[in-house]
Amino acid sequence: MSLMARITEGKSYHWWSRMAAMTGKELLQLGRDTVLVCAVLYLFTLDVLMAGGVKMDLNQGAVVVHDSDHSMASRELIYRFQPPYFKLSGEILNEKEGIQLLDQGEALVVLDIPPKFQHDLLQGKPAAVQVQVDASNTVLGSLAASYSSQIIGQYGFDAALQRMGLTGESLETVPMLDDRHRVWYNPNQKDAWFMSISELLTVITILAMMLPAAAAVREKERGTIEQLLVSPLTPMQILLPKVISMTLVILLGTALSVGLILHGVFDVPMKGSLPLFFLVTALYTFAMSGLGLFVSTMSRNLAQAAMLVIMIMMPIILLSGAWTPPEAMPEVIRQAMYFSPLYYYIEMAYGILLKGAGLAVLWDSLLGLTMLGSVVFLFGVWRFKRQFG
Amino acid sequence: MNINRVKALAFKEWREILRDRLFFSLAFVVPISMMFVFGYGIKMDVENIPFAILDQDRSAMSRDYLHLFIDSRYFDYQGDVEHEKEIDNLIADSKIRFAIIVPPKFQETLLSGRPIAVQSLIDGTFPFRTSTSKGYVAAINNAFNTQLLTAYVTQRMGITPEQATALVSPIKIEIRYLYNQEIKSIWSIAPAMMMFILLMTPPFLTALGVVREKENGSIYNIYSSTVTRGEFLVGKLFPYVVISSINVVILWLMAIFVFSAPFKGDPLFFFIASVIYVTCTTGIGLLVSLFAKTQISAMMITVVVTIVPAVLYSGLLVPIASMDEASQFEAHLFPAMYYTDIALGSFLKGVGMEQLWTRVAALLLYTVILWVASYNLFHKRVKA
Repeated sequence: MSLMARITEGKSYHWWSRMAAMTGKELLQLGRDTVLVCAVLYLFTLDVLMAGGVKMDLNQGAVVVHDSDHSMASRELIYRFQPPYFKLSGEILNEKEGIQLLDQGEALVVLDIPPKFQHDLLQGKPAAVQVQVDASNTVLGSLAASYSSQIIGQYGFDAALQRMGLTGESLETVPMLDDRHRVWYNPNQKDAWFMSISELLTVITILAMMLPAAAAVREKERGTIEQLLVSPLTPMQILLPKVISMTLVILLGTALSVGLILHGVFDVPMKGSLPLFFLVTALYTFAMSGLGLFVSTMSRNLAQAAMLVIMIMMPIILLSGAWTPPEAMPEVIRQAMYFSPLYYYIEMAYGILLKGAGLAVLWDSLLGLTMLGSVVFLFGVWRFKRQFG
Repeated sequence: MNINRVKALAFKEWREILRDRLFFSLAFVVPISMMFVFGYGIKMDVENIPFAILDQDRSAMSRDYLHLFIDSRYFDYQGDVEHEKEIDNLIADSKIRFAIIVPPKFQETLLSGRPIAVQSLIDGTFPFRTSTSKGYVAAINNAFNTQLLTAYVTQRMGITPEQATALVSPIKIEIRYLYNQEIKSIWSIAPAMMMFILLMTPPFLTALGVVREKENGSIYNIYSSTVTRGEFLVGKLFPYVVISSINVVILWLMAIFVFSAPFKGDPLFFFIASVIYVTCTTGIGLLVSLFAKTQISAMMITVVVTIVPAVLYSGLLVPIASMDEASQFEAHLFPAMYYTDIALGSFLKGVGMEQLWTRVAALLLYTVILWVASYNLFHKRVKA
């Protein structure tokens, strides 16, 4: 072996052993901060668990009734307001009481049935039923409105068919659409599947930025960065171990969360390839750590870094489509979504875990994340090297 | 408690915040930009749902029926497909959220007076949007059914279309949306955002402010001084409460003037309730700072104890009433829920002390507990 080759071999050996030592140091440092370790563990397990327990659909909305008819027909209509969507929580005697209950948030819907309701119905005269909905929360309000009009509409339809003598067998002779729907990927519409995955992705996003940023800023704040700079380490050997160790921690946490919570508790189907999911997660974590490094170059202490992380994280989450789907966004914002790494990651994570999609379908998102991620990561590295090179 | 010492401490803290330019500006910039981003970004209205059509009948009637979907502002027509297989891929790739399949002999069956099943395939990845889409599809199908039945009844009973209409849809439904007649989601989101931002930012500022002293050792100056525990806590946190109260006013004005949310309640009541709320959330930061030894762990704990309840247990995205009992109980343990009621009540419902006093009392109680707990946990003696 020539001398040159031996020197380069020695060099590359040193390069790797330094990297390993630094990565070990970062992991050790993280491991000794018990509070931090507990917080990370909490985020990956209990937090995802709690998020999965939350339901987005209308559940037992309180309905109060102002029934001025007190007939068979009105009672039958009232009793159609049943769980899961509604629950009857009493009757009121006048309209004022209804407004009061709505004001206090005790009732979501006030159902007002006019006098002579049954009489009109039997006579074939149109009867008007009034529904007052608390729309101060628009999500709840519009769901409550939609479900109540479905209930009342169906009741009216049934009443009409009955009046025409069209029930049971004879319904087969009426031209009608039978509304059948199949819901894919989540046939029972379990909110837990969506919510727990969504929360896990958010946790990964927060940690992928916060941990490397904190690891770098801490050295700056305590002055230990000076020690590293006078050591034989290159800037790459200082920053890469930080990124690698934090990525490792996040991947471990993700594995824990996927195995214990998503699979163990919520039975998320995991239709696609798990190795692909972890590969994508690693890629995403790397991309986001670039942003973390960028933050660490911008700030002098952790307080500043924390604020900056929040500032950068908000638009990334917002533009990801996690809360608002792309189609509901204005055109300009829809274009901006291509600049959020989380947008691609969410697409792939749901695609792999719920839809069982593979590379054949997801290649464009993977390409997008790789390109955007490389740019972001290299930008972070460039800033870091410029500051400490 | 010596007022002069408190003043001196508050002044020192204020100076320190002021001199850290980035921190100081972020203390205001972060809440403002969060308000902008969320205010313009979160849309809970489900509209423009992309969908595709598989028309296996291609008759005049099926086209009429499908046009009900194409013309609806809730749906965004993406085109026709030839096979069911194509639908699979389009949904898997999120190009469409649902597809509607009209079976062969659609027109023939209906004209001969028999019912027929129409199938829709809906992407279930986002359950909230799934149920809303299902509602829209059901509404369109009902409308078409009413048309069909009216035509059928007109023909069979030999009556005028008007009579038939009255016969087929005997109940008129009048829906009144109270407090937000046009169901503008920004009207609900802007006040809820105040809750969210004022829950998250004050603890962040506070926790980092206190732990910073611990981490770089300047807290020993306090330990060895004549300042008492109470004086230290009050003096240290006063500037943060002031900053957050200024943010209350800024966000409030933004909600009204930038997002044109109506404010119907009593401004004085709302301001006082908001100051109590930020004092409470500052207290959360204080409590966190007593447990954390390093700024990074302070940050992480703050994220854990604020973001989760702010998003999940506040009524921002998920209505409290819709939760199961365990989650409802947890929601009552966090202050966010009470302030959401106060904010929505003050902005949209125009209610005040009379209806909301229980919520204010809950916040006050919460604040007192947090501050008393912090007072008892804070020691001037270092643990051995």
